[in-house]
Amino acid sequence: MNTQQISTKQVSVKRYLPDSSAEPFWQQYELPVDDSTSLLDALNHIKEQLDSTLSYRWSCRMAICGSCGVMVNGIPKLGCKTFLRDYEGDIRIEPLAHFPVQRDLVVDMEIFLEHLAAVKPYLIDDNPVKPYDPKTPETYQQTPEQLERYKQFANCINCGLCYSACPQFGLNQEFLGPAALTLAHRYNLDSRDHGKKERMAELNRHDGVWSCTFVGFCSQVCPKHVDPAAAVNQGKVEAAKHTLIALFKG
Amino acid sequence: MQQRDFDIVIVGGGGAGLRAAIGAAEQAKEQNTPQRIALLSKVYPMRSHTVAAEGGAAAVTSAEDSHQAHFDDTVSGGDWLVEQGVADYFVHHAYQELVQMERWGCPWSRKDDGQVQVRRFGGMKTARTWFAADKTGFHMLHTLFQTSLKYPEIERFDEYFVLDLAVHEGTVIGVIALQIATGELILLRAKAVVLATGGAGRLFRFNTNAGIVTGDGMAMAYRHGVALRDMEFVQYHPTGLPGSGILITEACRGEGGILLNKDGYRYLQDYGLGPETPLGKPENKYMELGPRDKLSQAFWQEQQAGRTGKFGDSDVVYLDLRHLGEKYILERLPFICELAKAYINVDPVKEPIPIRPAVHYTMGGIETDPQCETSIAGLYAAGECASVGLHGANRLGSNSLTELLVFGRLAGEQASQRAAQTEWADMHLLEAQGDRQLAKLSRLCDGAGSDENWVEHKHAMVQAMENGCGIYRTEASMRQSLETIRQLRARYEKVRVNDTSKIFNTELLEFIEFGYGLDIAEASCLSALERRESRGAHQRLDDGMQKRDDVNYLKHSQVFYQGEANAELHWQDVDVRFSAPAERAYGDAGKGGKV
Amino acid sequence: MDKSSSQRLPPLKRNWWLKHRFFKLYMLREATVLPLVFFTLCFLAGMVALLQGADSWQGWIAFMGSPIVLLLNLLALAASLFHAATFFVLFPRVMPIRIAGHSLPDQVTVAGQWAGVVVVALLFFWLLVRSGA
Repeated sequence: MNTQQISTKQVSVKRYLPDSSAEPFWQQYELPVDDSTSLLDALNHIKEQLDSTLSYRWSCRMAICGSCGVMVNGIPKLGCKTFLRDYEGDIRIEPLAHFPVQRDLVVDMEIFLEHLAAVKPYLIDDNPVKPYDPKTPETYQQTPEQLERYKQFANCINCGLCYSACPQFGLNQEFLGPAALTLAHRYNLDSRDHGKKERMAELNRHDGVWSCTFVGFCSQVCPKHVDPAAAVNQGKVEAAKHTLIALFKG
Repeated sequence: MQQRDFDIVIVGGGGAGLRAAIGAAEQAKEQNTPQRIALLSKVYPMRSHTVAAEGGAAAVTSAEDSHQAHFDDTVSGGDWLVEQGVADYFVHHAYQELVQMERWGCPWSRKDDGQVQVRRFGGMKTARTWFAADKTGFHMLHTLFQTSLKYPEIERFDEYFVLDLAVHEGTVIGVIALQIATGELILLRAKAVVLATGGAGRLFRFNTNAGIVTGDGMAMAYRHGVALRDMEFVQYHPTGLPGSGILITEACRGEGGILLNKDGYRYLQDYGLGPETPLGKPENKYMELGPRDKLSQAFWQEQQAGRTGKFGDSDVVYLDLRHLGEKYILERLPFICELAKAYINVDPVKEPIPIRPAVHYTMGGIETDPQCETSIAGLYAAGECASVGLHGANRLGSNSLTELLVFGRLAGEQASQRAAQTEWADMHLLEAQGDRQLAKLSRLCDGAGSDENWVEHKHAMVQAMENGCGIYRTEASMRQSLETIRQLRARYEKVRVNDTSKIFNTELLEFIEFGYGLDIAEASCLSALERRESRGAHQRLDDGMQKRDDVNYLKHSQVFYQGEANAELHWQDVDVRFSAPAERAYGDAGKGGKV
Repeated sequence: MDKSSSQRLPPLKRNWWLKHRFFKLYMLREATVLPLVFFTLCFLAGMVALLQGADSWQGWIAFMGSPIVLLLNLLALAASLFHAATFFVLFPRVMPIRIAGHSLPDQVTVAGQWAGVVVVALLFFWLLVRSGA
């Protein structure tokens, strides 16, 4: 692949500097790009060469840490996995939608973290057949087929793109949202877990799975092909079953 | 300035920090001493660089394997600069930690019968590396983070940047941190502090590391008088993507991938790793399953001989997986396929992946005793930031993910035990140090600006480190680099940042990180220069220094901070109580050592 | 962490769905219910007319034959097919079918559903032809 400089491109960034201006504003930057220039490379170039006051999050550069989500022409994307070669004309960069903006491209993710924590995203097994003992450590058994059932949903990197894609979250921020519901479903599907009942209290309510109307855009923008829409809607089936069973049990 | 009290403060929310937090919480329960634990991280914990580890975590697992064998591999892999008591503790506690991760829900890859699967890894005599496809670090980090949510006694301070340790009369009494979102300082008083801040790979221009891997904790401990130990040993991972340095896991070779030069020849057989093993039948400690230092050195030799290919501007060799077949590759190495396709437009199922060595891991770090405690009372360190002495002169792949569990837990437990018997120091002592930090910050952001662009200085630093502390090193290049680093240190004090905002001022943070980096860089260059032998990842081209010299250098280097003056170097004996130094051999040459 | 500690944004404006092609398509999918309601009302009216006797039935037939009603019902048919198409694609993601531990590929499930539609359509066609003869 060609890595030499092939052109310059213009990138517009929505700036927000709360301690110097009350309103966000657009700023244009012109920068050199080649075939391999990612949006993150572009932002780093701006910061190092053109404007050191531009703030954004980033870390791993390889689409696994989930830091660098931004809106690119209105679509949520990971900066490190978005390449300028794929864009003609103006490229408009904004902070992730549906989150409060702290500064420039940095959004407040606290609500996302709260929603994640709310679904008890850890293995619950209160009465294991063989409790863990460091002196005689023993694993659970789990066949590759059992692993396969939840593996895809365990691949979420918590980047938050799905929340920016979800209009239901935009309309109601108490909605637990795609990633948190997916994580709950990941543990519910795990053969080692016995916590489904405990999680149902959170899932089976209006701000849980039932706020989802299967718009499906979350799955479109997911950079790791986790398919949160599938997880959430499988969660609806589980929640419905749970309600029915509870009804019959009285 | 906000003030908070905690029994234990943990700095760093990666694998080691999270494991330490959980370890401390469990220990407190066992002791019946309710304790409050603060976990500070400059990023949300799941962004920590543990997330990028791919290959796996080692522990003696099968009945044919033995603790002795894992110990021997680790000690010879580290070219006998390993603390042997530490390695012994490590191999005996590795398995229980990986099982504990499994009990917490880590999705380890499995065999058909439901048991955990292991794979081969470089320098390991037998397959003992647990893995979760090729995203082991990712799954471990998320499992630890999610599990930590079970513990209400752990209070997280996400996106808090620690500026300094508060130390009084040789004892740590807390930390001073900056809330990144607001720019406000906070004083956290503590009875024990654990540093788990990761390595310093970002000192180098071309590396596999995340932007946050800037050695902050190392510099903080170092500035308070703790030795940085074995900093000359920097691991070059043999397989990074050209251009970015993005990591292509060693598991590719563990699963049977082969390395080819531009002529399609498996050149490793020419470097003491042969004979060639048949295609698709990888053999432990042979060829592609040699240790990382040897493989990176072989690349350099091929490059010198003009037998490397070109990818863009980079000299490369080729990692060929094609014979493994699409189904197997996608099952075992899906992330590698994703990365190669996205970043260099190569499909590993159809083409060999061009790769080249990249700085990957800091073997040295904050010197600790075998219980993870530093020379400052109450200050512990674990994970890549620490030098507990496990890796010696070269780390074996898949030992570090296990390390952060074994020693993260140990550090957390030790901190909890100490906190149970200690009282808080006087808050006034912290306030005084907090005020000093505040003054320093306002000076940096005073808006006076400066003519010099500090980013150019940073580029000069990473270039100097690459020139001086590369795969092969010479007296002249190291001297030059040390000189450059010392000049940059002197100039650092005069530079200012342009951004004066208090809110999410990333320029300020990067500038502080750069200052941390310069101090560590001096320690690395100095210890590299003074180690006049070749051992593990430290290879010299100078006459008379191309071999290991156990008479003079079977010693750890220790570098001590001297403020604005040049750092000082001392030597420390190595614990060789179980295994006397012997020749380090792989391939058929290492057969004598085979059992 | 305390729930009240984090900020909340004001909810989206009513026209949020106009901002993106994907959302417009989603709204179209949801809007298929409108022509389907019309069809259902027609159908109900037919049932009532049948009960009321021949005259009423003839009136209903005439009503159904008017161009505008024909057009609206064609629209309902198209809408139901469009909705079915989107539903069939979503179905395997919501109810993944597993056989002997392996999940059935999505395309197979989608094809299976369309095959079902064809079978039912053929059955009705056959019934109509038979009763006509």
